[in-house]
Amino acid sequence: MKNAVSGLGLAPDAAMVTFPIDMFLPGSDLASLPGRKQEFYDGLTRWQPGFVKNTARAAPMLSVEGASYEDALNKANQLLLTNLWGDGLPLWPATRERVDWILRGAAFPRAHVIGKFPPRGGVTTVETCAVALAMAGGRPEYLPVLIAAVEAFLDPESNSEQLQATSGGPFPVVIVNGPIAKAIRLNSGFGCLGPDPQRPAGASIGRALRLLQQNVGGALPGIGTMAIFGAMRYTNAVFAEDEAALPQGWQPHATERHGYTPGTNSVSLVFANGVTNVRRRGAKKELPQEDALNGMWRMADFMRTPNLGALSGYEKGTPGIMLISPVVAKMMAALGWTQASIRQFLWENSRIPTQQLKRAGAPAWLEIDANPITRDSIKLDPWPITLKPENIVLVVAGGDHPTHFHWLQAHSPRVIGRVMRVPESFDGLLADADRDLGCGSDACRI
Amino acid sequence: MVTLEFHDPSGALDVTQPHAPRLASLAGARIGFVSNEQWQAYRMLPMIKELLEADFPDIEVLPINAFPQGNELIGSEETAALVKQSGVDAVIVANAA
Repeated sequence: MKNAVSGLGLAPDAAMVTFPIDMFLPGSDLASLPGRKQEFYDGLTRWQPGFVKNTARAAPMLSVEGASYEDALNKANQLLLTNLWGDGLPLWPATRERVDWILRGAAFPRAHVIGKFPPRGGVTTVETCAVALAMAGGRPEYLPVLIAAVEAFLDPESNSEQLQATSGGPFPVVIVNGPIAKAIRLNSGFGCLGPDPQRPAGASIGRALRLLQQNVGGALPGIGTMAIFGAMRYTNAVFAEDEAALPQGWQPHATERHGYTPGTNSVSLVFANGVTNVRRRGAKKELPQEDALNGMWRMADFMRTPNLGALSGYEKGTPGIMLISPVVAKMMAALGWTQASIRQFLWENSRIPTQQLKRAGAPAWLEIDANPITRDSIKLDPWPITLKPENIVLVVAGGDHPTHFHWLQAHSPRVIGRVMRVPESFDGLLADADRDLGCGSDACRI
Repeated sequence: MVTLEFHDPSGALDVTQPHAPRLASLAGARIGFVSNEQWQAYRMLPMIKELLEADFPDIEVLPINAFPQGNELIGSEETAALVKQSGVDAVIVANAA
């Protein structure tokens, strides 16, 4: 609640009367409420905020001393954790030297304000992003991706203000299109959702975004975010589409969804609240057509669930991201499947009979939705999980292996795109990266 | 001795408006509720309304549903305008998740 009020430009404090969670459950015992009535009365008449006004734009510097560098580094990490600015993994202290190095990747002045990070409302500048990226172990050439991701995150249409705090724990998924992905060693292949020492960019960009969410946006577990389980909370998910593997006639995600010209460096931000593997491949002697169709049915069967978190994106957002590996995309395209026909099949065959919606109590959530289009959809039987097939995000990524699809169930009112800007010196940064990491933009093969 | 100096990562807060002044007294006050209609608000808020009305006989507490309810509606400018138009002296916002 303190986050929410500070995000509105008020002092981060509020007159609150708080109760244990048991009070808020169906059939709860409310007998203790009258005994707390004076707190309500005091909140309305006597309460005063205790926050001292702080409008300084420049973040203050912190300092630690140690007997050795090792000792000082240890103390810096302890200080970050005790101030609730860490994530439990080792951090690079954001020294002036390291932040200045990261800022070489900025196409904007360091004081450029991107926005206020919700719900807490911390002022987010290019320098704030560089500080987070420095702490997360990033490099200068990653900064354009992080800044574009933050711009998308702070777009009011993303509804990040609510998603940061909600109990479902949605996490940002950043899909990168354009040549920058390969240039900065961002993974689009095997293990693209996780860390990869040969393509390390996604881990530190995603970790930096998470640190911003927590430290600037106030999304502290159990305090600033009620995310009950909090999936993917170390690095979020930052990966690239494997554009080189797109079958003939298939468009990059950023072109399909946002209309960006192929070859544009861009991010596309979706909030997801789950990651699931769906075994796609057949086990015996299926013909290619049968193998493809069986896999599509398994995918549709999995999607046919009342994901109530996705209702906020029913009209203009997405029910989820389907990751399809390059070899499967190639195989399906050869059989005549297109991006449109895949979406159409999944949309048609993931519709839920009204009777099943009723037994799950889902109509009540439809009835209270703010969007009349979503409310009206209750009349449809079977009920489509999203308004139109185009809402389903389809991305070609992952290892060249035919066995699985991946489904990132969404809680995303919109899919927000942003074009990246890189500094004029960007080629020099890439040359530095080649020097430092040694492998060139085509990763080493161990 | 080694000194490490590094940035505070939390970003500055920009306080742009004061909290509403508190009421001198609840006697004779007009109070409203802005509710997200979740978390047993439909049971709790009527209790608070009854308590206020019992303890401050000349208080006016608007019905629980006097303003739009629900997470999607309570933060809107339209709801804020309705609250202002109603002439309430204070509102209780409930129930957070």
